[in-house]
Amino acid sequence: MKIGTPLEVEAGENRVAMTPDSARQLQKLGYDCVIQSGAGAKAGFADADYAAADVEVVEGADALWTSADIIAKVRIPTEEELGRLTSDKTLITFFNPGGNEAGLEQAKASGANVIAMEMVPRISRAQKMDALSSMANIAGYRAVIEAGNNFGRFFTGQITAAGKVPPAKVLVVGAGVAGLAAIGTSTSLGAITYAFDVRPEVAEQVESMGAEFVYLDFEEEQQDGAATGGYAAVSSPEFREAQLAKFRELAPEVDIVITTALIPNREAPKLWLADMIAAMKPGSVIVDLAAEKGGNAEGTVMDEKVVTENGVTIIGYTDFPSRMAAQSSTLYATNIRHMMTDLTPEKDGQINHDMEDDVIRGATVAHQGEITFPPPPPKVAAIAAKPKEVVPELTPEEKKAQEVAEFKAQTKQQVTLLAVGAAVILGVGLVAPASFMQHFIVFVLSVFIGFQVIWNVAHSLHTPLMAVTNAISSIIILGALMQIGSGGGFLVVLLAAISIFFAGINIFGGFLVTRRMLAMFQKS
Amino acid sequence: MDYGFTTAAYVVAAVLFILSLGGLSGQESAKRAVWYGIVGMALAVVATLIGPGAGLWWLSVILIACGGVIGYMLATKVEMTQMPELVAGMHALVGLAAVFVGYNAELVMNNVAGLDAAGIDALKGFSAKVAHKTPVEIGILQVEVFLGVFIGAITFTGSVVAYGKLSGKLTSSATQLPGGHMLNAAAAIGSLILLAIYMSTGGGWTLILMSLLAFFIGYHLIMGIGGADMPVVVSMLNSYSGWAAAAIGFSLGNDLLIVVGALVGSSGAILSYIMCKAMNRSFISVILGGFGGASGPAMEVEGEQIAIDADGVAQALEEADSVVIIPGYGMAVAQAQQNVAELTRRLRAAGKEVRFAIHPVAGRLPGHMNVLLAEAKVPYDIVLEMDEINDDFPETDVAIVIGSNDIVNPAAQEDPNSPIAGMPVLECWKAKQVFVSKRGQGTGYSGIENPLFYKENTRMYYGDAKASLDELLKRID
Repeated sequence: MKIGTPLEVEAGENRVAMTPDSARQLQKLGYDCVIQSGAGAKAGFADADYAAADVEVVEGADALWTSADIIAKVRIPTEEELGRLTSDKTLITFFNPGGNEAGLEQAKASGANVIAMEMVPRISRAQKMDALSSMANIAGYRAVIEAGNNFGRFFTGQITAAGKVPPAKVLVVGAGVAGLAAIGTSTSLGAITYAFDVRPEVAEQVESMGAEFVYLDFEEEQQDGAATGGYAAVSSPEFREAQLAKFRELAPEVDIVITTALIPNREAPKLWLADMIAAMKPGSVIVDLAAEKGGNAEGTVMDEKVVTENGVTIIGYTDFPSRMAAQSSTLYATNIRHMMTDLTPEKDGQINHDMEDDVIRGATVAHQGEITFPPPPPKVAAIAAKPKEVVPELTPEEKKAQEVAEFKAQTKQQVTLLAVGAAVILGVGLVAPASFMQHFIVFVLSVFIGFQVIWNVAHSLHTPLMAVTNAISSIIILGALMQIGSGGGFLVVLLAAISIFFAGINIFGGFLVTRRMLAMFQKS
Repeated sequence: MDYGFTTAAYVVAAVLFILSLGGLSGQESAKRAVWYGIVGMALAVVATLIGPGAGLWWLSVILIACGGVIGYMLATKVEMTQMPELVAGMHALVGLAAVFVGYNAELVMNNVAGLDAAGIDALKGFSAKVAHKTPVEIGILQVEVFLGVFIGAITFTGSVVAYGKLSGKLTSSATQLPGGHMLNAAAAIGSLILLAIYMSTGGGWTLILMSLLAFFIGYHLIMGIGGADMPVVVSMLNSYSGWAAAAIGFSLGNDLLIVVGALVGSSGAILSYIMCKAMNRSFISVILGGFGGASGPAMEVEGEQIAIDADGVAQALEEADSVVIIPGYGMAVAQAQQNVAELTRRLRAAGKEVRFAIHPVAGRLPGHMNVLLAEAKVPYDIVLEMDEINDDFPETDVAIVIGSNDIVNPAAQEDPNSPIAGMPVLECWKAKQVFVSKRGQGTGYSGIENPLFYKENTRMYYGDAKASLDELLKRID
């Protein structure tokens, strides 16, 4: 089959979904690659580079869309582009299925299979095709660079002959992938970096990147961010107030604010309000990575840079990845390539659109004339969600009820066991003679004691336990000792003698070995 | 000395034995506990020697002394890594002793049956006791002897095979004769029939024939169990040797034998249960041998194993603050515990937090890793169990897997079709970085592909564990 990548038609989009490198990898999967002439030019990949990688270069979108069976592109497809789809084609692209009903309908009508790259589930196996993360990473990096470009001072503090320069203070709001990338870039440039996120569990990640996590003085059972697949959820009004108060406190201090707070399928929350902007020093910069969804800062204008009356620059660009097209194309093309690898388990150049596979199912939004969005929840939960979801918090009543039920079950089990045990013993007692019963009772009691005692043995002492039990099981020597002298012929004496000999080895060997082992256990 | 004294001594010995097992609940009290066991055993033996019915005591003492010398030599010479073999081998001795004592009981019964009243009066010791039994009691005695010999015989060959497997003299994979467990079942049924014949005719030949069948069962049963299940096997044999002693105790009418046999038997049974639980397998499925019952094709493992050299590992260790080491059978095989301990010492000296994560079935014997690490003088308070440390992996910088495989296999959690699905495993892949010290690219004991080796944060440090660690130690100080 043939994979083709057209020139992006969106104005200002510099990225391309296939690079010469990714084409080589795709060819290893058995695919032929085709690209529209000039598609990679803005990302720094010339037609000749593609040709050198055995990619067929065709002129014009028409030729490309007709010749390719699988079309990989970046931007949400236009109506015209969707119009080119036929039922035997597969389209892999960003699609925004949540806010693109017309597009979904059109894709359904065409009968083509559409895979939306933003729908790749957030599970560890699918990380390599998580284009949102790879793009967010670039956006975070670029946001800092863009801020530095508009910031009149150094990031790092310096003491020079010409005077002392204070370090810049950077606040990153939202420690998702973009936020963490921004933190990393900012700290490596030398700025003092603060970070905030509604999910307190990311504090550790933030600190690991060298930033300081901004804690709120707020006590509330916070919803575990991990329960929402690793994305932030809407927070309560009280929480929001506490958060804003903290930001108000920080506003006069910070020089650069980078906001990355997004909630899936919602308007971006307003977190950096007009009064905070007013409180900031002139020359400060706000980079609003949520501009596409309305922005986190008040006064953000999408795709534009504005300067407020008090000299604060607000950057609302939405095309950060496109501004670093060479890098982002490479990463995106690799994401696409991994997606193709999953779609081609046989490596035979034929797509196997396995709707049972969590990742493929999750990302597919249209399949054979059906809209398959939204997908069912994945069978494998998000990475971070796993340990916590297993044990949901129980209310005290539930806990109590559970304990009672457990206690009842335990009682029932014990009573049953006791009843059966007693019945067996009584049954034996009915038929067996008294002399046997005497021993039998001893036996049963010993087994019972054994069970009680052994449960408490420390796990690390299991080997010594075996050695000890081995040693004392040579108590069988008593039997042999009693027999050896009871008369009964040479054979009896011989067998008893051998038994005594063996048991002797065992007694000494077993105890000595145990002692040797135990002597080695020592505290530090 | 009369009978009362012996009984009293037995009671004291029994209490000492119980204390001895109970004392193993902690490392410190365990050292005392062994002495309880030793004193208890000495008391029991002496009381029997000087008690009623014992004769030829000089011969007994010589034999015990000879055995003692051999036992002493064995115990002092054995390497800690050979502990599993030693324990298995010693079980064989107990099993064989049980078989012989059982035979003797039969011989004595035959003797007594042929005597007249005057002869009976002249008897002493065990024979006298047998002579005074009623017919019903003789019947029960026969069953007890039969059982004792049967279990003893299974223990004997089973332990010999286990010894062979553990010491590498036999192939450790599960091998069975054609017919599999049907053969075992047939042999067991055959033994039952022999029991019936034995009860009705009292022919000694049935006892011999049954022993042969039981020898076969022991051999075949353990041959059919794979190497990874060895911890269960060893504790199971331990249990058997106890039950054999108890059965013999019944036939001889000796309460101490019964008590101790029951203690050992139940102890082994619980250990087996704990081991099985740690592997999320039922006792039956372990006995039936081999891993099996996969319900579908195993998950495809993607990616590739990325190798790393000693410099890379040293670098990462230098930067790490917290390190968790996960030893497995591979460490025991390569005798690398000293190097591991040395690495631990140096890392700790550098102020890093180093801990050990021990899976319940790591190694070939319950608690195997603990003993090896203790031998290498790793302090036991940094050696943690699976449940204690599993939650800490996400906060761990570096996890080092040394010669373990299945116990760190994420497929147990991620792939419902995996043969080990549901088995609790050490979640080392949650650490920031994982190094796997491993001989080569092959699969582990159970032959299951391990997705851990393909994870993005995993690096493979190929080579013999000991040699690899030697290389590593040169680079860390």
